Amino acid sequence: MKNTVNIKTGIIGLFFVVAFLMIPNSSNAQATETAETVFIKVEVDGLSCPFCAYGLEKKIKKIETAKDIKIELEEGELTFNVKNSHQPTKDELTSIVKDAGFTPKEIHFSKIAFKEKTND
Amino acid sequence: MSVILSCNLFLLSCSGNKTENKQQSKNNRLTEWKFVRLISLDSISPIGIVAQNNFLWVSDVANNQIVKINLDGKQLNSIKGFQRPMHLDIDKNKIYVPEYTSDTIQIWDNGTKTTLSIKEKPDGIGGVSVKGKTIAIADFYNNRIILQQDKKTTIIGKEGHDDGELYYPTDVQITNNLIYVADAYNNRVQVFDWEGNHKQIIGWNEHIKVATGLKVTENQVFIADFEGDRVLIYSLYGKLLQILNNNFNQPTDIEIVGNTMYVVNFKGKSITIFENK
Repeated sequence: MKNTVNIKTGIIGLFFVVAFLMIPNSSNAQATETAETVFIKVEVDGLSCPFCAYGLEKKIKKIETAKDIKIELEEGELTFNVKNSHQPTKDELTSIVKDAGFTPKEIHFSKIAFKEKTND
Repeated sequence: MSVILSCNLFLLSCSGNKTENKQQSKNNRLTEWKFVRLISLDSISPIGIVAQNNFLWVSDVANNQIVKINLDGKQLNSIKGFQRPMHLDIDKNKIYVPEYTSDTIQIWDNGTKTTLSIKEKPDGIGGVSVKGKTIAIADFYNNRIILQQDKKTTIIGKEGHDDGELYYPTDVQITNNLIYVADAYNNRVQVFDWEGNHKQIIGWNEHIKVATGLKVTENQVFIADFEGDRVLIYSLYGKLLQILNNNFNQPTDIEIVGNTMYVVNFKGKSITIFENK
């Protein structure tokens, strides 16, 4: 009887261990997603004009997988991220920015998200 | 015979001038706008403003909504879910909301939203003006105005800096026989007839920095100079009547209700109110 209980407990324990190993670790998943994502920051002059700024946003939205598009009108910066597989080249981005009516100053690519500006 | 004809023509031209002068003098008398107060719009980033009965509607481009406020600036309610709404218009109680991102015009009619059919493909709708079955659309990135009538579409302007050419138009208004265009980055307002013929330039001498918004009343033209932080007031003939220089912070649009002028400030997130004394 005691042996039967031990076997049952062992089976249940094994089941939980296997189940635990099968669940993807959330931090691993996040890390994978981050590893697959490239963060892009575009610095431009004249972003204070809302028609131009939202025009740039509109054109960036057309890049496949582009998300989290943020415009900092005061700073003259636009940040977004895309999957690695759809990362635009610097030349492609320059062309998009020019198409929106701007001359890009700097374009940065990063593996980690850019720090958000805080309003003090 | 020719002497009599010449005299008649002379008298006729004198009478025409007299009528015009009389009208201009009336316009001049009407223009003495005085600052009343500044109203904060809190987190609203306004682009367009239109009046509906005793209320105002403001497009809030940053928060993708249009906001209803009373004439004292109190926010009453909002309609969300627009994609970067720009210069609005109201016709027969329907609110026309140009969506800059989707390149569509949404019509808000008493709780129902429908999409206006546009026969041309715009790229960045900055503003819309509606008069019955005629609709004018400021097509920002295509540097043109799409004039859509019942069965006819007329394209007005093309990219350029000469008379009749446009450079990033942001706002438009139809009157009974003319179309006024905020030719933003040509730093002026241009006037066309309904056939698309260029008629007039307004604001050139005042070195407007960016002519972002406009309002045309029955006898005056108001221009919002976004980068110049001012509002310029002209007669319909283009004669400068008054420049308002203070209490603006990136003005984008103007609305007139009776003797009161409402100017929305994009950066200032506010409305500047003037009265015609």
